[in-house]
Amino acid sequence: MQRWVALFATTRAIATATAIALLVGHRVTGHDWLLGGIAITYGVVSLAVIARSPRLQSLPVVWIADGAAVLALVLAAGQWRSPFYLLLLTTLVLPATTLPFRRALAYGAATTTAYFAVALATGIDWSTIETTARLESFATHLMVPLIVVLALAYSGQLLERLERERERSEQLAVEAERRRIAWELHDSAKQRIHAAHLILSAVAGQREDARLEQAIGELRFAGEDMESSLTELLTPLLEGRGLGDALRARARELSAATTAHIDVRGESAALPPFILAHAYRIASEALTNAIRHAEAERILVRLAQDPDRLEIAVEDDGRGVPADPRPGSSGLRSMRDRAEALGGRLAITAGAGERGTTVSLSVPLPSNGGP
Amino acid sequence: MIRILSVDDHPALQAGLQTVLSDEPGLVLVGTVADAFELWPMIDRTRPDVVLLDYHIPRSDGLVLCHRIKQALQPPKVLVYSAYADSSLAVPALIAGADGLVHKSAPANELFNAIRTVADGEKVFPDIPLQVRSAASQQLDPQDRPVVPMLLDGATEHEICEALGLEAPELTARIQRIIGRLHMYVPGNRA
Repeated sequence: MQRWVALFATTRAIATATAIALLVGHRVTGHDWLLGGIAITYGVVSLAVIARSPRLQSLPVVWIADGAAVLALVLAAGQWRSPFYLLLLTTLVLPATTLPFRRALAYGAATTTAYFAVALATGIDWSTIETTARLESFATHLMVPLIVVLALAYSGQLLERLERERERSEQLAVEAERRRIAWELHDSAKQRIHAAHLILSAVAGQREDARLEQAIGELRFAGEDMESSLTELLTPLLEGRGLGDALRARARELSAATTAHIDVRGESAALPPFILAHAYRIASEALTNAIRHAEAERILVRLAQDPDRLEIAVEDDGRGVPADPRPGSSGLRSMRDRAEALGGRLAITAGAGERGTTVSLSVPLPSNGGP
Repeated sequence: MIRILSVDDHPALQAGLQTVLSDEPGLVLVGTVADAFELWPMIDRTRPDVVLLDYHIPRSDGLVLCHRIKQALQPPKVLVYSAYADSSLAVPALIAGADGLVHKSAPANELFNAIRTVADGEKVFPDIPLQVRSAASQQLDPQDRPVVPMLLDGATEHEICEALGLEAPELTARIQRIIGRLHMYVPGNRA
């Protein structure tokens, strides 16, 4: 959008200057100082107002008002071969680059029609139109808006597609790199950890030693930590998706592999990537726990967001979290670590009755949309 | 003396196995291979009692290999030894005819016990929750589904062929298709 506003500003400045030069200096147009004054005022004011406000740039009412104002200037100048014709073309830049392709073309056609109507109103001297040069000029005046809109809309669409492609290929490259790293971790570091654990546990079978037990415990946790890093590396990136969509996609994957029924309700607005990533991992870890460890049949994920907080609750009907989960159990630990990294609260509560667990996360959101 | 052949392409793990098995009385590592091509001549040469088989084998699939090993007239016991040994791998492992499943993070004595147990002709598998079974069977073609509970309950292929009126090669093809369908994505699979 930025580059189209720049194009709009540049062309409008040039068109305004051209119109003034023609009005004031050209012998045919006839030194109309009043209209010149109005033109310079309109050019400068419209430029200042529209270029500054991104909201106005995308309002159809503003485009139409702008076009109508310039057509009024054409009408005031008294003939269709107007010094304001270039100015009229500049009113097409924003709609042509904002609207979808077909609508942009329709907008161009409407401008041409309106221009033709103004030309009729100022009076077309049909006897002079009969000369080739005049006819050609008139036809050109009618065609140029269409061509301008076509060219701009087409290149706008092309640029957008290029940008999307680039983002996509960047994302694919990053994901390929993450897969490669995951593979290396799996293939070397993790196997070495297993080997070291195997050897140490064999030694521990022959000789009692608390230090050996401690080292074995560390190796076991190292293995589990690596497992969760691998899972994370192999999870597709979330960029460009809402938290609700990402969780729904995860729920579909999990439902396909089990009989659990997972329902995700609510959606979050755009979140800063850091919060999005951690909140997603916490919720998907809670889903995995509910299915794998609690053997839940029904799971409900609720998302709620107000301007300064994000709340996620994962409720299941499984057999609950054991009173004393394995010390240092890496799944729960990593959920807590992530919640802490977000400055949020993680609560794990037992459901009503014997069964069920609710994992709830509450995260403060930065007030101005992002850190 | 239980003769063990290890199939694994990770040198560190092979070395670790060699170390712990050399100290363990009653168990002897008769060979190590890193891929499917070396496996068959090695089985012929060493005649192992137990094959310790990684799930992820370069250019092959541990469970497909397992099923092929079990096609022999007097097959060795097969213990699937994997870094992904939860109940969802237990289903295809049982279907492939494995005798047991041990996680690579298991301590040495657990591995030794598992090797001795399968060598004695018993099975070593984690409990398979009902929902994992039904989830697995939902991934299959309807015509393949009846085979799964029979295999999981320990019916022999001969019994299944009789019950379903199938020829042996047809059942083999079905089992291979089921194993392929239940293939688990692990980072080792260079996809």
